[in-house]
Amino acid sequence: MRIEILGTGCPKCQATEQIVRKALAELGMEAEVVHINDPRKFREYGVMFTPAVAIDGQVKVSGRVPSVEEIKRLLAT
Amino acid sequence: MTWWQVILSGFEALKDYIALHVLTCLIPAFLLAGVMVTFISREAIVRYMGAATSKPKSFALAAGGSFVVAACSCTVIPVASGLYYGGAGVGPAFILLWVAPAANILALVYTGTILGGKIVAVRLIAALLMAFAVGGVMSLAFRKEEKARAEPNPSQTTQVQTKVMKRPDVILLLLLVLALLAPNYIVQRGPYYQKVIVWAVGMALAFGYAFLTKTREEIGHWMRETWWFVRLIFPLLLAGVFVVGIIGALLPEAWVTEWLGGASLRSSFLATLIGAMSYFATMTEAPLVHKLMGLGMGAGPALALLLTGPGLSLPNWLAVARVFGVKKALVYVPTLIVLGTLVGWLAGNTVLR
Repeated sequence: MRIEILGTGCPKCQATEQIVRKALAELGMEAEVVHINDPRKFREYGVMFTPAVAIDGQVKVSGRVPSVEEIKRLLAT
Repeated sequence: MTWWQVILSGFEALKDYIALHVLTCLIPAFLLAGVMVTFISREAIVRYMGAATSKPKSFALAAGGSFVVAACSCTVIPVASGLYYGGAGVGPAFILLWVAPAANILALVYTGTILGGKIVAVRLIAALLMAFAVGGVMSLAFRKEEKARAEPNPSQTTQVQTKVMKRPDVILLLLLVLALLAPNYIVQRGPYYQKVIVWAVGMALAFGYAFLTKTREEIGHWMRETWWFVRLIFPLLLAGVFVVGIIGALLPEAWVTEWLGGASLRSSFLATLIGAMSYFATMTEAPLVHKLMGLGMGAGPALALLLTGPGLSLPNWLAVARVFGVKKALVYVPTLIVLGTLVGWLAGNTVLR
């Protein structure tokens, strides 16, 4: 599984990465987590407001910091 | 004056600020910002902006829509770049880049509670006029490039279906604006506890309404976003107020009156330059301008600083150059400096005299 965090390096984007890692750890799952900060890539994903989370190339959360529970739910499905 | 007294005046300013502003100004303001991020579909707004085909319409949409996209000059850049590379014209993209930090609801309401209604009304109108001017200049300067760019992708522009806001969200937003305005307008001269009473009524109404119309999860989102604003902006505001207190103690009144007083073109230009270079997070411009006006800054230069303070900064120049190209930054920034100077000078000699 590949989880991409789309962000500009802002505090909210850092927090999102932490939350994703925490959710993975709590579920005991392994995944590749990458932080993407190239605006051109945002456009490809159709993301305008950062931070955003894409799981296997699909944008799941955009424009806000998700909660750990939310990410867990997304990862479980 | 000893360094100790200087530091002390910083703390003095901080104490006054916390006592007078945190409860009745900042708490509703952060809650309002949280509502704007959680319940307004910013994506839908930006899509509407991108979908407009005629120039006047796209300019008006960009300027109007930017009011509710509260953002500092740094966070608005990816949004504007998304708009531009998504097919919108260079004009609307730069209007968004300018209006979202310079004149969003949050900054305007907050300026109002500190500096009064008149200067806010002028700030709003001035920001809009400058937005149209900037949009016009950018479209004109890059008209060849604009022609060469691909037509907006129709599949993208017809997707405007998401609603910007549902009615309960609009009501909640208005209730919070009310809770923010009422204590400072209804009780202008009365004792502080009266403000607190009015504030408490306003907050109770807003929260009561929220609990009736929102699910737990939505309220959770809202609170989390609000908390983010607190974490990001509050330390900057406190640091700003502290610095303002120190500046107030160090800066001789004569100096402020000499260089920033009155309504001369020079004062207005200096104020614009200070605003355009230094970084102000949304809302931090208001306490600084308040202090400087107390020391003798003219209303015109104050307006110029309010406008360019949050809208432009050195880091913002660099980011604009990186995302949109050096040439566009070289047109955008000087245009705003010229406009800011002129607007401050004109307003200082007419409506704000």
